[in-house]
Amino acid sequence: MPELGKLALAIALVLAIYSIVANIYGLRRNQPDFVVSARHALWSMCAMVTIAVVALWTALLRSDFSLEYVAAYSSTTLPTVYKITSLWGGQQGSLLFWTWLLSIFTSIAAFQNRRRNPEIAPYALAVLAGVAIFFLGMLNFVTRPFDFLAVVPPEGADLNPLLQNYWMAIHPPSLYTGYVSATVPFAFGAAALITGKLDDAWIRSTRRWAIFSWFFLTLGNMFGARWAYEVLGWGGYWAWDPVENAAFMPWLVMTAYLHSVMIQERKDMLKIWNLSLIGLAFGLTLFGTFITRSGVISSVHSFTQSGLGPYFLTFLIIVTLAYIALLIFRSNQLRSPADFESYLSREAAFLFNNLFLVGIAFAVFWGTIFPVLSEAVRGVKITVGPPFFNRVNGPLALGLVFLMGVGPLIAWRRTTADNLLKSFAAPIILGVSSGVVAAAMGIRQWYVITALSLAAFVMGTIIVEFRRGMNARRHMVSEPRAKALVNLVAKNNRRYGGYVIHVGVIVAFVGIVGSSFFRTDVKKSVHPGDSFTIGSFTLRFLGLKQVETAHLETATARVEVLRADGREITVMEPSKLFYKRPQQPATKVAIRSTPFADLYVVLAGIDDVGESATFEVFLTPLVFWLWAGGLLMVLGTVIVMWPNVRERAAIAVVLSGAGAPAGDRAPASDAAPGGD
Amino acid sequence: MRVRPRFYFGGALIALAVAYLIFSAVRSTSEYYLTVAEVNARQAELGSQALRVAGRVKDGTISWEPNSLTLKFVIVPIPDPAAASPVQAVSIKAPADASFGVICVGQPKPDMLAPGRDVIVEGKLGADGVITATQVMTSCPSKYQPKQSQ
Repeated sequence: MPELGKLALAIALVLAIYSIVANIYGLRRNQPDFVVSARHALWSMCAMVTIAVVALWTALLRSDFSLEYVAAYSSTTLPTVYKITSLWGGQQGSLLFWTWLLSIFTSIAAFQNRRRNPEIAPYALAVLAGVAIFFLGMLNFVTRPFDFLAVVPPEGADLNPLLQNYWMAIHPPSLYTGYVSATVPFAFGAAALITGKLDDAWIRSTRRWAIFSWFFLTLGNMFGARWAYEVLGWGGYWAWDPVENAAFMPWLVMTAYLHSVMIQERKDMLKIWNLSLIGLAFGLTLFGTFITRSGVISSVHSFTQSGLGPYFLTFLIIVTLAYIALLIFRSNQLRSPADFESYLSREAAFLFNNLFLVGIAFAVFWGTIFPVLSEAVRGVKITVGPPFFNRVNGPLALGLVFLMGVGPLIAWRRTTADNLLKSFAAPIILGVSSGVVAAAMGIRQWYVITALSLAAFVMGTIIVEFRRGMNARRHMVSEPRAKALVNLVAKNNRRYGGYVIHVGVIVAFVGIVGSSFFRTDVKKSVHPGDSFTIGSFTLRFLGLKQVETAHLETATARVEVLRADGREITVMEPSKLFYKRPQQPATKVAIRSTPFADLYVVLAGIDDVGESATFEVFLTPLVFWLWAGGLLMVLGTVIVMWPNVRERAAIAVVLSGAGAPAGDRAPASDAAPGGD
Repeated sequence: MRVRPRFYFGGALIALAVAYLIFSAVRSTSEYYLTVAEVNARQAELGSQALRVAGRVKDGTISWEPNSLTLKFVIVPIPDPAAASPVQAVSIKAPADASFGVICVGQPKPDMLAPGRDVIVEGKLGADGVITATQVMTSCPSKYQPKQSQ
């Protein structure tokens, strides 16, 4: 079986190379048969990579330790589900998984465009095949998943215990899906540049891919944060570590891209900006892989310095230079016709929201590579930690939130003072009064007061938007309220799904602000029967119980939680785990989550005789809302992606009509009342 | 190409704001990231500068007092991985000249802290050559795969 996987990867590489050659030859010599053949080659490539993945999974499930990879990342005692997730537990496997996703997405794109986009699709598929060649080259020559061990060990080294967690089972696939699916819009953008077909066909045909990618990047970041919160035991969920930043930057840029393409579709502006953003998003996915594999940037996660770094850097540089060259080559055709007419316009709000997002991404990038820069310039490595990121991104986030409120309500082109007042009076009152209430409740930090006011302001604008749409429906088709609301969302799913995502972002933002500013913690070493307090809670340590299994030893503390009035609320059981292979301790946190605050109890240590225990307890207000906001963002994205009959019809018209007049190209979602 | 003053003015304003925020935040939050050997070489000039020191925990030096949450250990330079033979044991003898005591009060002992493990110590170097740490971070074992780890 492993031999088969090895062979399949070699064939896949040959097929990817063939596909590029056949595509280009077919287009240049006008031989459609070769273009068809190139497409078939991509499908076969996908089948080959699938065989390799199945081969590795089979080896993992059968604990075939003759394979180096299986011996390094699995064991006979590993639970089956983690044998499956071991596929992406190590470097070779995770690259194979990446390549698999890429080949699947490439195949889907090839299928979607088998009749559509005859001019740019073959080039886009050639770009996708080019990316696949890089990854398949790595898998065949540099970091091979199917290497054998000379001596077969009786037992494997096991998967790192920290990764034996359900969030870790779903976090990497989500993030990879987000990373890899960004390649499709990138490839179409590149194809538009290569062919000079620079209308927005490339954007339209990959809009769903972009949203899909954004969706999985969102999920990936959320799952990662949740994993860090539940598993790492430091009470937080985000530490601005380079690895986290590597996942966050593409998300920021994709967010900017999803907004700015709306301006191109409406106003035919920002062409060069959109092409740059999608290039940047793709480059950042490679950059993320580069910094996590190369060891040039130190992280507490001590990266395996695997020698992959130079390959990724070289590929990144080639892709970047080629893309910039294309942008320069086409720059005459990319000039946008006009300035926007007024700062008080939706175009301006969208453009500035883009600049804020890219500004945040740049700040994160700067902070991430700062040690390398300072070492090159000043000869000493200077790091900037979480305070840097919070200090820079905090104010920028406020600007972004403000624009989230302004953008959707303000008119395209220009807005009169009268109009502004009408639209924004209620949200502004809501925002200001929320700030006053917060101050009256004793909150003194200016940042928190501003953040809460702005959050309320944005919520106000979204409510106004929904009400406008509902009222319009009630007048036009005289529907009752609830039905009007449902129909409003169903008929304009992109627009109103987008607002649901905005609500999610605001809810998450409030969670982040609350948990960042008001977290308290207590560290205490206690004997059984002792108690200590945090906030209004009293915690009493009842005792330890120890259990041993084949896989691990567990020490669990029982901690009784009492309210201020002495009533018992619950008993929490944080534990400490000692894995036997590899010998490594781990922490299992006990969390009691409520919408007001999370009580987070860590059994930080037990003494050798097993009498006293050290606890670290965090009381984190509002962190619940971060996860709730994440769920709302998921819901909103599902609404956005829901198949929409009108939109499909519109795409069909554009694609068959090849350049309908600009007036007809307004997306379906803008047909909703109130926006224009 | 038509002149588009609104574009450029608004864009420049935001770019300046970002640049200013980055500049001022770098000044106020930067920490020197040094190895034990570098701290040793620059000892005189470091003063009360915030430091992040990468080193390896010396065998037999860890002391942990749970009641007062006091952790003490000694760090030595991390040997150059290129020079190390692949079968080298976890703990490695370090040159005797570069080593610093670390004291960290009020934090729980990290799970992974063990002799021979690589750590990053955040804190300040005192006149007595002891690093008073606010935080001790342990590097995960080398097989730990960063892509999965967030």
